[in-house]
Amino acid sequence: MRVDTTRFGSIDVDDSAVITMPSGLIGFETCTRFCLIRHRAGENFQWLQSVEEPGLAFVVVDPAAYFDGYEIEISDSDVDRLGLVDAEDAVVFTIVTIRDGGASITANLAAPIVINSKNNIGAQVVLQNELYTTRHALIVRQAAQQTTTAKAA
Amino acid sequence: MLVLARKVGQSIVISDNIEILVIEVRGDQVRLGIEAPRSIPVHRKELLEQIRAENLEAAAQTDVEAASQALGESPET
Repeated sequence: MRVDTTRFGSIDVDDSAVITMPSGLIGFETCTRFCLIRHRAGENFQWLQSVEEPGLAFVVVDPAAYFDGYEIEISDSDVDRLGLVDAEDAVVFTIVTIRDGGASITANLAAPIVINSKNNIGAQVVLQNELYTTRHALIVRQAAQQTTTAKAA
Repeated sequence: MLVLARKVGQSIVISDNIEILVIEVRGDQVRLGIEAPRSIPVHRKELLEQIRAENLEAAAQTDVEAASQALGESPET
């Protein structure tokens, strides 16, 4: 299908890659279909782009890459609405907020996006664990350093 | 809005499957026990409001290049 976006222009998205989020995201309940866009190969984040609303997209990352020991317990009601049978089918993303031109980057660990990879149904899941907040500082490893390390190895 | 006065140990029943019990009252704090079917999510309202505000702010990131610069590239490249 053809998807119009304000950030990436008009793009082609495979129908099978469309993620259905029946409840939308909190504050954006009317947008229920999304796709994941990796703008540039090799980038360590993706955009969760609305298929219906060209201007709506969120930067998302794999929390495991940044937050050691991040564990989520998905409530029974969320397991039900995602149709999750096996925990291994749950793909977890964290929404990132970039402020002040990158001076402050935070991740919302309190309400991750969970997608059931078996049926591509997703939801923004509100965790009961009060240790996790909507703003955890996200430390970006410098790409230059990583490249140097890789070369040395 | 319906307003009910309850004492510790008393509860209210909503529909035929939700029960909210007053467990403890201490100063301005009330502890509640909530029994509801697993299909009904129960959350603290201020957390939902925080998440809503955070989502709104995250969605305001429209500059793709600025995001790339801020987050850098993955070590695999």
